[in-house]
Amino acid sequence: MAKTILIIDDSTSLRQVVNITLTNAGYEVIEAFDGQNALTKLDGRKIHLMVCDVNMPNMDGLTFLKMVKADPRYKFTPIIMLTTEAGEEKKREGQLSGAKAWVVKPFKPDQMLSAVSKLILP
Amino acid sequence: MAELIKLPGQKLANRSTSAAGRSQYLAFSSGGETFAIDIRSVREVIQYGGLTEVPLMPSFIRGVINLRGSVVPVIDLSLRLGRTGTEVARRTCVVILEVPAAEGMAVVGVVVDTVNEVLEIGPEDIDPAPAFGHDVRAEFISGVGKVTGRFVILLNVQHVLSVQEMAALAGGREAAES
Amino acid sequence: MDLEFAKQTFIQEALELLGGMESALLVVEEEENRTEAVNAIFRAVHTIKGSAGLFGFEIIIRFAHTLETALDRIRNGQVALSHASITHLLACHDHLAVLVEEISRDFENAPDLEIRGRALLDGLAPLLETAPGGGHSLVSAQATPGLETSHGSESDECWHLSVRFGPTVFQDGFDPLSCLRYLGTLGTITHVYSLFAFPPDETFDPEICHLGFEIELATRASRKTLEDVFEFVRQDAAIRIIPPHSQIQEYIALIQEAGDASELLGGILVACGCISRESLDEALRLQRVEGNVPPGPRRIGEILVEEQAVPPALVVAALEKQKRGQDPQSTETKVVRVQADRLDRLVDLVGELVIAGASAQARAGLSKEAGLIESTAIINKLVEEIRDNALSLRMVQIGETFSRFRRIVRDVSKELGKSIELEIRGGETELDKSMVEKLSDPLMHIVRNAIDHGIEPLDVRRARGKADSGSLALSASHETGSIVIEVSDDGGGLNRNRILAKALERGLIRENAVLSDQEVWQLIFAPGFSTADAVTDISGRGVGMDVVRRNIDDLRGTIDIDSYEGSGTIFRIRLPLTLAIIDGFRVGVGNTSYVIPLNLVQECVDLNAFLESAENHLVNLRGEVLPFLKLREVFGIGGALPPREQVVVIQYGETRAGIVVDRLQGEFQTVIKPLGELFRQTRGVGGSTILGSGEVALILDIPQLVQRVSSAGHRPNPSTSI
Repeated sequence: MAKTILIIDDSTSLRQVVNITLTNAGYEVIEAFDGQNALTKLDGRKIHLMVCDVNMPNMDGLTFLKMVKADPRYKFTPIIMLTTEAGEEKKREGQLSGAKAWVVKPFKPDQMLSAVSKLILP
Repeated sequence: MAELIKLPGQKLANRSTSAAGRSQYLAFSSGGETFAIDIRSVREVIQYGGLTEVPLMPSFIRGVINLRGSVVPVIDLSLRLGRTGTEVARRTCVVILEVPAAEGMAVVGVVVDTVNEVLEIGPEDIDPAPAFGHDVRAEFISGVGKVTGRFVILLNVQHVLSVQEMAALAGGREAAES
Repeated sequence: MDLEFAKQTFIQEALELLGGMESALLVVEEEENRTEAVNAIFRAVHTIKGSAGLFGFEIIIRFAHTLETALDRIRNGQVALSHASITHLLACHDHLAVLVEEISRDFENAPDLEIRGRALLDGLAPLLETAPGGGHSLVSAQATPGLETSHGSESDECWHLSVRFGPTVFQDGFDPLSCLRYLGTLGTITHVYSLFAFPPDETFDPEICHLGFEIELATRASRKTLEDVFEFVRQDAAIRIIPPHSQIQEYIALIQEAGDASELLGGILVACGCISRESLDEALRLQRVEGNVPPGPRRIGEILVEEQAVPPALVVAALEKQKRGQDPQSTETKVVRVQADRLDRLVDLVGELVIAGASAQARAGLSKEAGLIESTAIINKLVEEIRDNALSLRMVQIGETFSRFRRIVRDVSKELGKSIELEIRGGETELDKSMVEKLSDPLMHIVRNAIDHGIEPLDVRRARGKADSGSLALSASHETGSIVIEVSDDGGGLNRNRILAKALERGLIRENAVLSDQEVWQLIFAPGFSTADAVTDISGRGVGMDVVRRNIDDLRGTIDIDSYEGSGTIFRIRLPLTLAIIDGFRVGVGNTSYVIPLNLVQECVDLNAFLESAENHLVNLRGEVLPFLKLREVFGIGGALPPREQVVVIQYGETRAGIVVDRLQGEFQTVIKPLGELFRQTRGVGGSTILGSGEVALILDIPQLVQRVSSAGHRPNPSTSI
């Protein structure tokens, strides 16, 4: 069965492109538009990887990260955080919360694919 | 309104200049004379009927028809060429043409006495428009074609059916009346 | 779903974000707590940049990057947000919007855009000062300097990779095995030895990683690529990558670093064929080996146990609370985005359905079959509902258009050195999307005019005892079957005498003409009419109000003016609710049918019974004397008069009049078909529709018709074209 990836970003077009890229590579992709929305998608199902933006309205990526890390079901799920050069401080904060994989925006679709492949293969 | 000839414009456009630069023309009669129009502007030919007159328009604008849900203006070619109006008879039909307009292409219908045939005329058989000697305005004629010993006036659709000019004429009439 | 689709999503999304950014920029000065607005501004640029990257829109990325850096500094309070910087940020916003819009045109004008972009970014310098290269630290931190010169080799050669994972690698969500799997996609793993460094006592914690790998990989990949494999784990890990044909010293160094595990590691390296037994012995001799060596190497297969088991599903209370407390449906899931042309197509089809339905009902009526009549009536009732629903899909609130004027008012008033407050009322009023688009230009013109000519300079205002700040209001409201949009100002009002003088000069009126205020105000809509004494950049270029009038005409609307000298002007635009379908009232003259918009029809009476004066075209409607016009005369229709002519009494705005026709043919739903360019200048006919019979009927433009007749009647001067 295909590995499931949850992509959390408030940009619809970004989600669409990531979705297309990863789906074409053989992953199964679910989308969420902010942290809160992502929590509703975590209904106990197996998620193999999460890709999560830091700067989002409503519930930002770091809050979401902390909540996921506190959930025993998902505490071992790898998470790729998306940030920008401007987000250095957020990155330090995130690393303390256990987010070690960071991809810097803007990125190209194949950069995302290779980052994902380092953590899970389809 | 039965369609007499269905001419899918694009397909014909490919074919119309195929053989050694020869072009295809739709020949028709208007006021007893034969004219022809480059077939690339022709969309289809339909039977005359179901016309609604638009008031306060110059007489060459006969009105509008319903062409499968679109409202299309109909021009009396004979009047537009400065002759007497077309008498509606059994074979009267409307040639539906696409002409350039300010915003893309406009669809215009032209009333003619009857549609005759599709002619293939090579460039060597087309003489330039005569500067005089014909009662039709010179810029309305793109050339004179020779077909088996006959002469056919090739109309310059862009000028004859210039939407801009016709609209200005319609507006001019308006202003004069008010 | 394909990339082209996603690209469209991007454009739409970016423009929406930019809209939000602009609004936030415009209000941020007034906000007491600016955090939210500043965040919104930052996030717009941030999101656009992030998404643009996916599509490789370099020009957008470059521009957004610097802008984002500046905004981040504002967000962090490193620089203050001044009035001047807001103005500059608005200009940057505009440029970004242009870039986004240009995407669809594939950056044909890129050089211009680049230059403009660079100039704008230069203007950001005050916001970026004292931050030399601050934004780039992450980039430089990513690559290990000095290693990038090593490129991929020609053939598959054996690299040696030595990896010791950090203790928290499991907790960080990483599977060490995934590194091996990914390496497997880059080449062939010829040898893997796994190493465990078990803690000596019962402090063993299964969540702590004690794992390491010695890997032999045959690959053509570059050192950089191999390093990047460990991108996410290298922070806490010890990784050594030894390229093919490396000096023996490299391996020796590796062995020596291994400390306690030197001997074991040495054995592995010999087994891999990296070094000879002799070299190892030599190396080991150089190093003093002390203490015991951990258990021998285990085959990789032995650790290929199943993936980490998921602990029993305990739900964190907070998580549960989130789910319960919050409606999981946020606004995004409630809104379905539909491409505008699809919606237009739907409305067109509904239009056809209405026509076909009318035709069916007419035929059913002729058949006199009760059952058939009943069913077609039901179908038509449903069609009517579908029509209303379909049209409502295209309705948008006018508020968005209105708020765009905040920007214009701000810019224009600043340019003119006037202080103006804009008030917006009725922003929730809905109207057809296609109308909103066409309304924005004329509104813009009126607003600019009001600021430029309407609202007086400060000294004049003070002399008149008015507040220093001029006030301008945009309002929208529904009024029986139409929408009324008002632009009002508290300025000097229109100057009746000046307009009359100008009109006389332009030959628009005769000397000694007696005109009502309304008639005078309408003169400003004449082509080429302009009363501004000084031509300014804002308005007064002589083009304008006639264009406004034409735009409103195109929307089948009317515009009138109330003006009070010294205290202000109100422009009132009245528009139909929709452009596509109206309820029509069908009348006949000769053998032609015409359609009058039903919302204008008040009542129908017999001409003979109410005739006041045939000569002066007046009817007496229960004491009220109304002018009428005969369609037959106005349109020059010949043929025999019917025995009894009918008067349709119409009203729009303040105007009431009668339209005399031969026959009344009843109400029906009218799908409006434009008449096209050829009939653009035709006055009195606003469009056409197709009847159930397939015939085309013309829709009368009543205001134009009435105006036409009244101007011909009251002002014999034929050149008058008001």
